[in-house]
Amino acid sequence: MRLADARALVPDLIPAPGEPQSDRRLIETIASWCDRYTPWVAIDPLGGALAEEGAEACSAGGFGGDAGLLLDATGCTHLFGPDEAGERALLADLTQRLSRLDFTCRVAMADTAGAAWALARYAERQADLFCPQRGHRAALANLPVEGLRLDTPILETFLKLGLRRIGDLYNMPRAPLVRRFGEQPVKRLDQALGALDEPLEPRRLPPAFRTRLAFAEPIGRPEDIAAATSRLLAALCRQLEQAGVGARSLEIALYRVDGAVDRTSIGTSRPNRDNPRLMKLFEERLGELDPGFGVELMILAAPEVEAFSGTQDTLPDSGVLPASLSEDGTIDLADRLALRLGAENVVRLLPRDSHLPERVQTTGPAAEPAADNSWQRLAAFKGPRPTRLLQRPEPINVMAPVPDDPPRHFQWRQHTHRIVRAEGPERLADEWWRPRPDGSRPPANTTPPYRDYYRVEDDDGGRFWLFRDGPYALAANGQPTARWFLHGFCA
Amino acid sequence: MPVISPNAFAPPAANDTAGLVAADLRERVRRLERAHSVQRVGQTAVPVGVPAIDALLSEGGLLSGAVHEIEAGSTPSGRVAPHDGAALGFAAHLLGRFAAIKPGSTLLWCRRPFGTFDAPPYAPALAAWFDPARLLLVSVRRDEDLFWAMEEGLRCPGMAAVLCETRAADATAGRRLSLAAEKSGVPALLLRTQPAPVQSICTTRWRVASAASHSTPGLKDVGRARWRLELRRNRFGMPSVAEIPTWIVEWNDETHCLSVVPQAHHGSTGADHVARALESRLVG
Repeated sequence: MRLADARALVPDLIPAPGEPQSDRRLIETIASWCDRYTPWVAIDPLGGALAEEGAEACSAGGFGGDAGLLLDATGCTHLFGPDEAGERALLADLTQRLSRLDFTCRVAMADTAGAAWALARYAERQADLFCPQRGHRAALANLPVEGLRLDTPILETFLKLGLRRIGDLYNMPRAPLVRRFGEQPVKRLDQALGALDEPLEPRRLPPAFRTRLAFAEPIGRPEDIAAATSRLLAALCRQLEQAGVGARSLEIALYRVDGAVDRTSIGTSRPNRDNPRLMKLFEERLGELDPGFGVELMILAAPEVEAFSGTQDTLPDSGVLPASLSEDGTIDLADRLALRLGAENVVRLLPRDSHLPERVQTTGPAAEPAADNSWQRLAAFKGPRPTRLLQRPEPINVMAPVPDDPPRHFQWRQHTHRIVRAEGPERLADEWWRPRPDGSRPPANTTPPYRDYYRVEDDDGGRFWLFRDGPYALAANGQPTARWFLHGFCA
Repeated sequence: MPVISPNAFAPPAANDTAGLVAADLRERVRRLERAHSVQRVGQTAVPVGVPAIDALLSEGGLLSGAVHEIEAGSTPSGRVAPHDGAALGFAAHLLGRFAAIKPGSTLLWCRRPFGTFDAPPYAPALAAWFDPARLLLVSVRRDEDLFWAMEEGLRCPGMAAVLCETRAADATAGRRLSLAAEKSGVPALLLRTQPAPVQSICTTRWRVASAASHSTPGLKDVGRARWRLELRRNRFGMPSVAEIPTWIVEWNDETHCLSVVPQAHHGSTGADHVARALESRLVG
């Protein structure tokens, strides 16, 4: 319908431009709100306005336009009551809460996603919206054929042929249908009737472990939220213990009365199901959550879990995890620091077998220290090393006798250091067996590039670690080509 | 006319007890000074490893559960040193001493990297003082986080010592650190690349500058690392003759011990310096 026609029908019509982006965001918000009923929520991929470019879309028509959500509530209805009563209560609760937030909605429940889709849009009576178990075949029979989610050309042909009800297709021979209309009608019918599986793609990966706590009255005080979190944690830790796993990350979601959902998560460096320790990590984060006008539901989930056998003693020489680390609180400390500063900022120093000074020291996760004495063994093979190593060697101006003598003076940051004592050179060559950072291999059969390192002491007693990059040589203009760098400071 | 009895000139009979009383009083004064904290009872003193220095420190060593500051001093020519290699070496030595009395413990090293000119501690050299595998290195972006990380570290029972490289001197943060250290008995070391303001709260403050090393006779090689060590603050410690006790110490990287260089040999006097400068000029 064009705007002029609409104005003719309703003179005081207020036009507003469409905003598909905002619509999409709103649907996303409602979808994350629906996580309170089930972790398995998908946005209807066939919603024409919401479908991504080039995706298979169909203009659904019927009630409520084409935006829709699909919820897989299997195993979730017991929270609202036993069996069918629970399912009906969930439907009623969902409808009531959405209408309280000023959304008009139609919610249907059936054994298959296809049947629920059709019922929500084309059921004529309110009572038909809930389809009891195994009743979907009968319920669908009377619905218009539009409920099958067909492409528009196929749908128009169906209507021309007089196939108006879904039930009309039940007894049609399938082979001619496929020959005439392609796979789609048969596939959709099978999906709606449950003969063909139709998996939903959840928006977020459903966590294997979750607990929920609903409040009769909305809560808002920080201490209440902390108390509720601790109760949820206790329940979740019991679940984890029964399954023999520990959580690597935990997420808590606050469902507020105004329909918004606030989430925050914590991570641990090794599997954990220790209630007080996890609670301590949550205490850091709970302050960031905004309870708004009140929180009516909290869900705690463990999206990442790992096998965890509990606090079992390891043999002293097993080498993997020194048991003392977790006992003396170092791991907890690392977790707390990583939570605030980022895991990449809380690290252990690990040795690496290399000749190049900048490659020797690397970093690793806080929970996995290097083996005892591995550093000492490594240091025993090396010459004198600086206590601080510059991330990037700094170029210096040097006056040095040729060809291999240590420098007499060097100028660094506008100050000249007169060198009184010197040691060296210690020649460190490029590691030809290792590919270069750009992926190329060093050329074979040539002398690899090398650096000559010197430890020097200036007349003030300052000790430095310098190197000359490459051999001494003279350029055409008589200037030496080798460049000198300052690489570190010695004790 | 008063009679002067010979006893008046004789040493008093109660001399021993007087000495005991004096020692007792001194001890009580020291305890009073430290009475603000009850938790000090469980603290230990860790010797620096040099008898001459340990004699000046309270209980013969550095108190665990206290804040110790190590700042980089200026060079003998009076210039601000461009780096703190010497101060870092001494801090690493102290870390090693603290780590040695608590086997299996962790060392926390907090720092704020500054971009491409950053020079982080280098483990192959630190291995001379302690096992770098025990080090937990924390990088932060703000000074608040630096002190927060330190406090968290001080509360952790499995920590041997907490070191923080900082230029900031926040009196409140310093006070909090000192309280946290007292409570847990974990020492906190502040490593400063620049001299700190005097009013900061710490139990000892050291100023470390690098000193000229001693070459092998006949050679001009770099000898063992020598530092000029000043004890600028020594709370609860013994009074010393010098206003600022100063030593030239030498780190022996073979025996892994620190020793005081006799003054005649350390060669950091001005005259010696000029002589050597002249000599090198003649040679050069």
